[in-house]
Amino acid sequence: MDQEEFPGTSNEDQNAAAMDMFYGIADDGDLVIHRVESDQVVYKPQRHKVKMLGKYLVGGMLGEGSYGTVKELLDTESLCRRAVKILKKRKLRKIPNGEQNVRREISLLKRLQHRNVIQLIDVIHNEEKQKMYMIMEYCASELQEMLDSVPEKKFPVWQAHGYFCQLINGLEYLHSQGIIHKDIKPGNLLVTNDECLKITDLGVAEALGQFARTDECRTGQGSPAFQPPEIANGQDVFSGFKVDVWSSGVTLYNITTGKYPYDGDNIYKLFENISKGDYSIPEGVSEMLSDLLKGMLAYDATVRYTLQQIRQHPWFIKQHPRVFASVKIPPRPEDPDDVLRTMTVIPSLHAMHYGDDSEEDEEDEDQIHEFSVPCHDEPNDEHVSLSFGNEVRDHTVPFEQRQSHDVVGEDDGALQGAVPVPNSDYEMKGKKGKSRSRKSKFSSCKQS
Amino acid sequence: MPLFSSKSKTPHEAVRYLNDMIPSLKNSKEKEHKKISEEVTKTLHILKTQLYGSQEQEGSDLGAQISAEIVTSDMLHVLIENLAYIDFEGRKDVVAIVNNVLRRQIGVRTPAAEAISRSDLIFLLINGYENQEIALNCGMMLRECARHLVLVTQILNNARFYKFFEYVEVSTFDIASDAFSTFKELLTRHKVDVATFLEQQYDPFFTHYQSLLNSENYVTRRQALKLLGELLLDRFNFTVMNRYISQPENLKLMMNLLREKSKNIQFEAFHVFKIFVANPNKPKPIMDILLRNRERLVDFLTKFHTERSEDEQFNDEKSYLIKQIKELKPVEENVSYQIKEENMS
Repeated sequence: MDQEEFPGTSNEDQNAAAMDMFYGIADDGDLVIHRVESDQVVYKPQRHKVKMLGKYLVGGMLGEGSYGTVKELLDTESLCRRAVKILKKRKLRKIPNGEQNVRREISLLKRLQHRNVIQLIDVIHNEEKQKMYMIMEYCASELQEMLDSVPEKKFPVWQAHGYFCQLINGLEYLHSQGIIHKDIKPGNLLVTNDECLKITDLGVAEALGQFARTDECRTGQGSPAFQPPEIANGQDVFSGFKVDVWSSGVTLYNITTGKYPYDGDNIYKLFENISKGDYSIPEGVSEMLSDLLKGMLAYDATVRYTLQQIRQHPWFIKQHPRVFASVKIPPRPEDPDDVLRTMTVIPSLHAMHYGDDSEEDEEDEDQIHEFSVPCHDEPNDEHVSLSFGNEVRDHTVPFEQRQSHDVVGEDDGALQGAVPVPNSDYEMKGKKGKSRSRKSKFSSCKQS
Repeated sequence: MPLFSSKSKTPHEAVRYLNDMIPSLKNSKEKEHKKISEEVTKTLHILKTQLYGSQEQEGSDLGAQISAEIVTSDMLHVLIENLAYIDFEGRKDVVAIVNNVLRRQIGVRTPAAEAISRSDLIFLLINGYENQEIALNCGMMLRECARHLVLVTQILNNARFYKFFEYVEVSTFDIASDAFSTFKELLTRHKVDVATFLEQQYDPFFTHYQSLLNSENYVTRRQALKLLGELLLDRFNFTVMNRYISQPENLKLMMNLLREKSKNIQFEAFHVFKIFVANPNKPKPIMDILLRNRERLVDFLTKFHTERSEDEQFNDEKSYLIKQIKELKPVEENVSYQIKEENMS
């Protein structure tokens, strides 16, 4: 053990001494603490590292999956918020069918375009790092995360209805393109800030051949709790579309009740329960909804609802009154105050454009600030009311007249007005620090 | 003037007033007409504001009340029938009112859509495309109607649906393209039901559609071709696709379109043409055409849109087609078509 921890210790005397010290600590429990005088400590604020990926500015981490991490991006050309799935090829090789699944997902996503299906925007390969970057639409959260943020782990009926309708729309599109998703579950349904649901993760999806007569499938790799009896029973061939209907049914069951229709301590127990087909609908579920759930969770795939039947179901058509407060997208765990999930690229943007705290930067910034002051402190109409017709040559003239009494001639005033004259109030602001002046700059941007 | 003052009108009175006055717009004389018209527009605006304003506040049922009033008093009929006589601003409010009422539900029922489906109103709206003044207003209302399956079925099952094939070709560009987007909406919104319609009405529909593909108008031709590709590649229209790709005249048409001057039309035609070639069970007439043109097709496709080197999917499909055509044998079986897709193992 010790040998491993201190490789090469036996050869050198110095290291032997070090080892003695180590044992000494271990024996006595007496820790030696080095004292460093406080004036010797030079505190250097960690400089923010700016990372670029092509034209994209890389922000903070959004999530982590089995395939790799997901980070936020900012497209520096269009200023669109994006998300990137970073896939390490080495990791992929370890996952069964990993590389194949990713390749298939990319080829499927490329030809899809629907408001309720995640859009793949770009794919970047980095052969050197053996990494692959899938750049996609940015979504603020996923249903699972929202469910987890509330104790009852469910949505009020009207909110669940809104998501469910969008899920069915997206699914209908996928099916119309001959694609079976096979892994519908709250964890694969993303939500944007404007409450638009996006089906994501087509990693185990299957595309039917253009000339395949039926939607026959042979494999299912989705999450166990969302699998239908035909898969739990290990049937060879089954209808693909009905698999998605079933898992959408489990999803609906889950987001309206906070429970799952089938449970089990392990996958064998779970599949055993699913194949028995015994489940109950919790109390408090309206008759209409329980009727829809029963239709979607029908044991026999041939009588299980089609998407068309779901669409015509009264619960689907009904406008549900917004009686309970909606479950909001929770703030990120790293930053509980950030309820709106602001862009995580902002620190990078600051670092890029304002650099570190060198004096030069500060001056630059102040200048920008100075120019923005007059227009945002003094609304135009005020000038007009204060001045006499032809005297107004510049917006800053009346400003000048009011602020400094020692200006005599109007012409002088106009001249001086062209150059922004710092007033006392402003100088104070400038000295107080950067953050304050930045704020006012943002607000002035908004106003203009 | 005080007679028609709208200031004190309750929603109920406003609806009644409009029901009474709008029909008289048609026959009134110039001076009187102006007066009524102004007042009608004003009242419409107030009604619209009430209808929309109340939607924000939950629980307030003023909007629902007005909506019910409009539906039961048959005001939809009055509005749509006399749309041409209402002035420009007023028409915009009519559209807003009708579309709002159409969206409202009572439980699972949509009273406005039901009311329209019981009448001829939807055809009045379609006829609206013949009047430049109101064509775009009618288009907006029709697209809102297209959300309701009952109304789409009503249109598709009527011969007047084929009027759209004329409207999408009218000389006024904005009307033609508005008509086309309504046409497309009708054919893509309720996929399963449209599939049934296309199967049953295959011959009349595609005979008409052929004329769009042969249209003199570039925009019509291109849009129609694009929509055709979308319809055929939609899995819900599987049966229709199989029928379409077994008819040699369709293949001939696509081959001609492949050689059009416009690159865009060529490209859209490619996406329909590929289905013919990829079909594993090509009927003899199709096979004959392809065989007869084998060398020329291979040659043509090799040089086809070589500038699209970025588009991986297109290039994969193209090389797949070239390979297929090269390997064509008079009797061929078991060639499965997959769009750039590895088989799952």
